[in-house]
Amino acid sequence: MASAPPVLELCGITKRFPGVVANDRVDFDLLPGEVHALLGENGAGKSTLMNVLYGLYHPDEGEIRVKGTRIRLGSPKEAIEHGIGMVHQHFMLIPVMTVAENVVLASEPTSGPFLDYGEAARRVEELSHRFGLAVDPRARVESISVGQQQRVEILKALYRGADILILDEPTAVLTPQEAEELFAVVRSLTEQGKSVIFISHKLHEVLEIADRISVLRRGKLVETRPREGATEAGLARAMVGREVLLRVDKRPATPGEPLLVVEDLVVEDERGLEAVRGVSFEVRAGEIVGIAGVDGNGQTELIDALTGLRHASSGRVVVDGRDVTDATAKQALDAGVGHIPEDRQRRGLVLQFTLAENIALHDYDKAPAARFGWLRPRVLVERARGLLQQFDVRGGGAQSAASALSGGNQQKVVLAREIERDPKVLIAGQPTRGLDVGAIEFVHRRLVEQRDEGRAILLVSLELEEILSLSDRIFVIYEGRFVAEFGPGADEHELGLAMTGGRQETAA
Amino acid sequence: MTALARSEQAVLSRVDATWAGAAGVFLGVLAFWLTLPPLKTTQLAWPAVCAALAIAAGAWALRNERTRLGWGAIVSGALGFGLAVLATQAGRTNLDNAVVWSALIASMLVYATPLTYAAIGGLFSERSGVVNIGLEGMMLIGAFFGIWGADRTGSWVGGLLIAIGAGGLMALVYAFFAIHLRADQIVGGTAVNFLALGITGYLFIDVYGSNGTPNLSDAQSIPDIAISRSGNFFAQAFGDLNLLIWVSFGLLIAAYLFVFRTPWGLRLRSVGEHPRAADTVGISVFKTRYAAVTFSGMLSAMGGAYLSIGFVHSFNQNMTEGRGFIALAALIFGKWRPAGAFGAALLFGFSSALAQRLGTIPNWSTYAVLFQTLPYVLTLIAVAGVIGRSIPPAADGQPYQKQ
Amino acid sequence: MTETGNEQPQREGGDYAPSVAERLAFYQRAGGVVTPVLTAVIAFLIGGVVVLASGSNPLSTYKAIFNGTGLNWLFPWVTGFDRQLAAINLQQTLLLTTGLILTGLAVAFAFRCGMFNIGGEGQYIVGSIMSVWVASAFVGMNGPLHIVLAIVVAAVAGGLWAGIAGFLKATVGAHEVISTIMLNWIAYWIGSWVFALGGPLQSHANGGSVPVSHDIQPNTHLHVFWGDPLLQGLHVGFFIALAALVTYWITLNRTTLGFSVRAVGFNPEAARYGGIRVARNYFVAMAISGVFAGVAGAVDILGWEFRLNVNDIQASQLGFIAIAVALLGRNTAVGVFFSAILFAGLLNGTSTRHLDPSVFRPDLAGNLTSIIQGLVVLFVGADVLVLWLWNQRKKVRVRRASAAAGAAPSA
Repeated sequence: MASAPPVLELCGITKRFPGVVANDRVDFDLLPGEVHALLGENGAGKSTLMNVLYGLYHPDEGEIRVKGTRIRLGSPKEAIEHGIGMVHQHFMLIPVMTVAENVVLASEPTSGPFLDYGEAARRVEELSHRFGLAVDPRARVESISVGQQQRVEILKALYRGADILILDEPTAVLTPQEAEELFAVVRSLTEQGKSVIFISHKLHEVLEIADRISVLRRGKLVETRPREGATEAGLARAMVGREVLLRVDKRPATPGEPLLVVEDLVVEDERGLEAVRGVSFEVRAGEIVGIAGVDGNGQTELIDALTGLRHASSGRVVVDGRDVTDATAKQALDAGVGHIPEDRQRRGLVLQFTLAENIALHDYDKAPAARFGWLRPRVLVERARGLLQQFDVRGGGAQSAASALSGGNQQKVVLAREIERDPKVLIAGQPTRGLDVGAIEFVHRRLVEQRDEGRAILLVSLELEEILSLSDRIFVIYEGRFVAEFGPGADEHELGLAMTGGRQETAA
Repeated sequence: MTALARSEQAVLSRVDATWAGAAGVFLGVLAFWLTLPPLKTTQLAWPAVCAALAIAAGAWALRNERTRLGWGAIVSGALGFGLAVLATQAGRTNLDNAVVWSALIASMLVYATPLTYAAIGGLFSERSGVVNIGLEGMMLIGAFFGIWGADRTGSWVGGLLIAIGAGGLMALVYAFFAIHLRADQIVGGTAVNFLALGITGYLFIDVYGSNGTPNLSDAQSIPDIAISRSGNFFAQAFGDLNLLIWVSFGLLIAAYLFVFRTPWGLRLRSVGEHPRAADTVGISVFKTRYAAVTFSGMLSAMGGAYLSIGFVHSFNQNMTEGRGFIALAALIFGKWRPAGAFGAALLFGFSSALAQRLGTIPNWSTYAVLFQTLPYVLTLIAVAGVIGRSIPPAADGQPYQKQ
Repeated sequence: MTETGNEQPQREGGDYAPSVAERLAFYQRAGGVVTPVLTAVIAFLIGGVVVLASGSNPLSTYKAIFNGTGLNWLFPWVTGFDRQLAAINLQQTLLLTTGLILTGLAVAFAFRCGMFNIGGEGQYIVGSIMSVWVASAFVGMNGPLHIVLAIVVAAVAGGLWAGIAGFLKATVGAHEVISTIMLNWIAYWIGSWVFALGGPLQSHANGGSVPVSHDIQPNTHLHVFWGDPLLQGLHVGFFIALAALVTYWITLNRTTLGFSVRAVGFNPEAARYGGIRVARNYFVAMAISGVFAGVAGAVDILGWEFRLNVNDIQASQLGFIAIAVALLGRNTAVGVFFSAILFAGLLNGTSTRHLDPSVFRPDLAGNLTSIIQGLVVLFVGADVLVLWLWNQRKKVRVRRASAAAGAAPSA
């Protein structure tokens, strides 16, 4: 296999964005019939590289060769013409159309002037048989599962004659069973001569499926090696560049009264499917409880239900002795819930508002912020000034717009606001997403500080490391259920196993 | 296994409920119809029975989770009975004067046709993801340039072509702002309506002054197609309709086939639903939208030209009088589908026709004016989601930015 | 509205137009006073080309229009008869300004909550109908009380009318653009019906042959403080409009209501997370918008119209011009004030009564106004283009400067 010439070569690709070099002289090649994994942390430059390959970005330097000939890619259309197909992380599918319509879009079989739906369905069926991608061509995309939708994406690429398939974080949205099915599909693809670029940041997956593995770190290609001999530890070191385990200095917890009690909570998502299926737990004063899990296992719905943003179908939520099960967002806040939302730019802040106004977002209508329905701007500004200093917010004063601040400083503003309200329970959803190391440390320190002041803290995070270093107790959520509970000093490996549903039988 | 059987049964009863709901809606209409010519039942027993059945069917549909249809049947039953009571009170001669079915149908088609053109035009634009509230203005442009073109070229064909060109040009300007400059589409549409009002008014005064438009010769008017002038029902309803009315039927079928049965239609819809997905498979979002918006302007202008050189035979300032907005309402009421939009246009055309006939009857004429609110009230109810929610294409109104 | 109103998840599958936040961001985008001014200048330039094309001199035409607005009254060197004429003209312009400020605020307030209120016209009509009804009925009522009653009823009616659209948006997510368009036409036909021949509120004064309302009671006429009451002088309603501007600013910037309205307008998601009831704000903001438009209807009736004709209703464009006023004024109080004067001046300056027919035909000029309005709205929507043009000017200057600098050493 190694003797065959590569189907694809990327030589010295450099792509700069204002202030960042996203790809720095990256060399990458793909052999026929192989799975070449591209590994790297979020922001390492994987997506940029693939967008260059798919014709969405123009590289500033370097060249692309397909089967030995140098090509220029101006658009996805040209990439398709050169046999490059991409399965996007966010599917490019039209929900209201059928599978067949989605697949044949832009190169439809016709009879006369009309689209030949029978022929389209037949071709889709033929392709799905050949590669083991079971899916009903006549079903509407919105009515099939996420795993099936991904197959439609793969079919789209194959239908267009792709020999090179780029799978961008394909397992991020899949259940472990679906992921296994996907691996079977990938193997069947390579057996039939297709080549696959598999982008991921999950080590065990890469070790399972890839023939060769390349690691990107901060825009540079660190190493390319065959799977044989690669270990999780070695890859992790290459990815991160150092042994990082952000252990936070903290004393053992001294938990007190339970401040947040959740009993048998069931929450539905937008589609009316049960996303949280009967969860019970409590968080006591002075402890941090972490909820670990793969994205999309009910975390968002759980937080929404606890903060009054979504109705629970059944079960009970009690904050500091008050039942807030069917409370509105305002009632939940008033009952003593503080909330650091998952997406600070979309939900945590009104970016066009000043920092003073953002800090007043919860209590703008109460004294001292307001009196008899009248705002007191000077009070708002005074209070904001104090808090901004206390939380070391840089890049803007009380009167500047929130949009002017960096992500880390924006998060400090959210943190300041929530802590200032003196909540009994603080719910933090991915509080350090997208922050730099300094800001992460700041947020972590503050959370531990708040724990020590006797608040009950619920930390929901996708970062295993964050969960491990902060939590006093850990629950693992999988498909809307808690499948495991760990004490402090939990084993990372066991935790990871539980996150994929592997320990269902020993669920706590 | 039992669970499966039970769920199958549930599906079956839901299908039945759908039929029951539809039958209920029909029965409600029937309750009213019984009191109209030719039957003119004076006793309320039969309408009452129909209405009661309609409401019962609606209630049953409601129980089986067919909420919208169920409510539809109940409303239809109640409304049908109410109207039936009014009709029996109205007196036979008045009813005979007002409700002449064949004339009503002919007149409905006359009123519906401009709406059909603009609504189908709007359908193309909105299916490609560009909201078009400038239909009114594009129609007005068509009305003026139709008559101006017919006057200059001496033939209705020239008038129609010039109208289509002018409407397309106006739409092209709008398209440039909405697509390339990513201007807000509601604002852009409002601007088109202002501009069209100003441009047509300005040219009208400048060219024709206070004398108004000249009388059109036969060659300058879009001809009627005389099939039959005999007195039977069909001849009176369809025997002498304008050419463009017949063309609109063809347009409806062609639009349906194009949008839902051809590759281009699939691409058009994909751009309106998920432009990025369309872009990644090599469909040009910009070109598709430009074509769709321009075409919508051409069709709206055809509707306007029908109005000026097919129907009224003259032009006066702001002569479309909100018809473009009724067309927009028809499009929404018809859920962005050709048959739906056409059906809504017919319904709104019928209400105009009825209003016009009611207007000829003493004591009723004032209520005829009130009748004009019907299209808008119905559309308001439709967007409120009481009877079948209207959901637009997913990317409707969203400017597209290339990556 | 129930407590659960704001708990509804955002509608799936896209909305009829951009999300409110996007829309508002679009209108509040930077550019300061440059973009609006430039927008107006471009629109007037193109309007000048139109004038030129029809064989008149654009400069003298615009000068005549300017004199028609009466704004030359502000120049101290205009004296004698010219000054008297200017005063009368200016009174008319300010009469129109009054209505445009109020309807402009109706559009602007909804904008600040992220909604596009196209229904100013309908709300204005409903306000007019109610005020003409109240002011013509209740014979013998105390004058000032009668006036207040007429205005309040009109305000409530306008508020409720707009509130329908707000309510539908808040509860089922119906897009306000569609519902306000529909409500406009419903109001239009209801208005055409109530005063039509045989309509319930038609006056039978002239044997019932005219489709017009009863005249309002003489003691409900608003006091004319400048000019001759018989020649439509300027009435105190102008101060109501100015007060409304101040109220608008204070409500938005100094009250808790304004805070939540602005939060929802900028970012409904964050507002919801912050415990603000988004649905309630949609309803309230829309209703307040309607109140402004309703008051506009009342002030026009009580100030100078005194009766309502079916033709008046059908010909009125005020609520639509208000869209241009709010957009050009960037939804700020000061901006609305100046753009209201601009459009009122344009309308008045091109009217048959005020434009010197020897310079430009007034019947054409009225349509020129529509064209200029259309262009303003078109270019306001495309601030990208306007700013680009503005930056070109800078670039040209830079290029010229660098060319000059580059030429010197190499020479």
